[in-house]
Amino acid sequence: MLMDVLAALWDGAFGSAAAFWSATLVRATPLMLVGLAVAVAFRAGVVNIGAEGQLVLGAIAATAVAQWLGAAPGIITIPAMALGGMAAGAAWAGIAAWLRRRSGVLEVISTLLLNFIALALLSWVVRGPLQEPTGIYPQSSTIAAGAHWPFLLEGQRLHLGFAFGLSLAAASWYWLAHTASGFRVRVAGAGARAAASAGGVDVARTTFGVFLISGACAGLAGASEVGGVTWALYEGISPGYGYTAIAVALLARLDPRWVVVSAIFFGALEAGAAAMQRDAGVPAVLVQVFVALVILGVLAGTQLRDWRREQRLVARAEAA
Amino acid sequence: MTALVALACASAENATDRSTEFRVALLTPGPVSDQSWNSAAYSGLERIRDTLGAEISHIQTRTPAEFEENFRQYGAKGYALVIGHGFEYQDAAQRVAPEYPKTTYVTTGGTGVGPNIAALSFAFNEPSYLAGMAAAAVSKTGILGTIGGTALPPVAASFTAFEAGARAVRPDIKVLGAFIGNWDDAGAGKEQALAQIARRADVIFQNADAAGLGVFQAVRESKGVWVIGANADQNALAPSVTLGSVVIDLPLAFALVAQEVRSGTFAPRVVRFDTATGVVRWVPNPGIAVISASMLARLDSTRILFAEHRFLLPPGMMP
Repeated sequence: MLMDVLAALWDGAFGSAAAFWSATLVRATPLMLVGLAVAVAFRAGVVNIGAEGQLVLGAIAATAVAQWLGAAPGIITIPAMALGGMAAGAAWAGIAAWLRRRSGVLEVISTLLLNFIALALLSWVVRGPLQEPTGIYPQSSTIAAGAHWPFLLEGQRLHLGFAFGLSLAAASWYWLAHTASGFRVRVAGAGARAAASAGGVDVARTTFGVFLISGACAGLAGASEVGGVTWALYEGISPGYGYTAIAVALLARLDPRWVVVSAIFFGALEAGAAAMQRDAGVPAVLVQVFVALVILGVLAGTQLRDWRREQRLVARAEAA
Repeated sequence: MTALVALACASAENATDRSTEFRVALLTPGPVSDQSWNSAAYSGLERIRDTLGAEISHIQTRTPAEFEENFRQYGAKGYALVIGHGFEYQDAAQRVAPEYPKTTYVTTGGTGVGPNIAALSFAFNEPSYLAGMAAAAVSKTGILGTIGGTALPPVAASFTAFEAGARAVRPDIKVLGAFIGNWDDAGAGKEQALAQIARRADVIFQNADAAGLGVFQAVRESKGVWVIGANADQNALAPSVTLGSVVIDLPLAFALVAQEVRSGTFAPRVVRFDTATGVVRWVPNPGIAVISASMLARLDSTRILFAEHRFLLPPGMMP
């Protein structure tokens, strides 16, 4: 029986073309975008716990933009949705960024609290300004066909959002690793006081900018879910992507390249976990525990490897 | 970890050992341990397995994206009947069903219908009205409470009907309303109930699935307060303080629909289950006797009016 369960886990994630392209990678897409949001912020020493709220704002804005543009061609609607989502996410992060810069409010607290406000806002807009025309269901009406983000492969559900994720990962890796402003971000994150005194970095300004970029990435994830997957705004649009993404980013050690891998790993795990329920009859609660244990195991494993490497280096240094 | 998976396998056996052709899947929005909306649906799925020899599968889903993904997976696997347990599954059914014409998609609630899409509609408001009458009859303070998970259309309609029923018995009754904001936080459910009890509500009608279990807890700890269950028969949860339950007999409804699908006679439509079908009903707690004989008679005559369609609730109380 154990083999059946593990086979279901594997098949659900990689067992067929549909499993990989339509389940694993579709689930990985929001995690990748939000994972990048978290990774970039953490690199600059900005502990953005509020990606969930920024994602929700992005989803609201993208829906509003799509409804407003109506039947306009996709070449206009789709970029407008993406930009609208990014702007809304950045603005929502901007509140916490401004509070931090202006009066030193810890962003761990402000972003977390803004998540609850964002969810309440979502709850309101799907019963108010963005509610479907019959006024019965707490959801928006479906966006026009032209506003649906294109699929990347014939017959599969993988959509444009994934391409955005890959491009953003490449761009943010290059930015952090190979540009002067990226270097300032890393220095500010590594040691704010040293960066300010020895490096002449305007830390407040740098972190403020990174905060907005982080919010924009998370907002794009929200737009991508609406445009590429759900085609409408719902209360339950995010199962907590903003929180899962923290694990995605940490597993990737805040390296944008590894965020891609890590997000696909999490996407595969979730797709496989769904198959464990469907095909092997494993109860949902056990599946959740299983997923949590796998994540814990992988995180602990990588930490242990780091620790061993450090020990070896220390031993070698002492021997020399 | 091995023990965990082994444990999981024990429950997996039922699902995989059967090799009948009739396969039925259920998607629930919450845990089937809630002793309410979701667990009643799971009982329905088990009823289909036991009476029709169907092979069954269940998955708990959280987001619209997951609704669609799993609808597709079941369609691709050739399931005959896929039930999305809630109106929130109707958009996903509309999108996925045309791709899998051999699978019948049914949503519990909603109004979407298509060549292979049907919706089950429950006149949950009718027994809710009866519950309101019973609540008003036993209330000493003249203050009732309603506590829901979130303001979903069928839940809000049921609370409106509850209030109307209460008012029919006692025009001066006051009803405190609250929504928890989710369906799984039992602690928050308990807090809402304690807050209403502090404002002297002495009968609380809850419809909050797993979070509603906290309401039962609060009522159990308070004196002179009654609770009313929803969706499943919850009278046994707190037998000494439960006035009754507003029940949807999901096993009966599911079995009826599955039977039709299996025999090939199922016609896509909104399948309406009202008081006349016996699927929705007010089930008083048999263990307590606080409702007067005259009130019981009045409840029964109102139920008959519903059953014979001689008493129709206004549109505002319809889901």
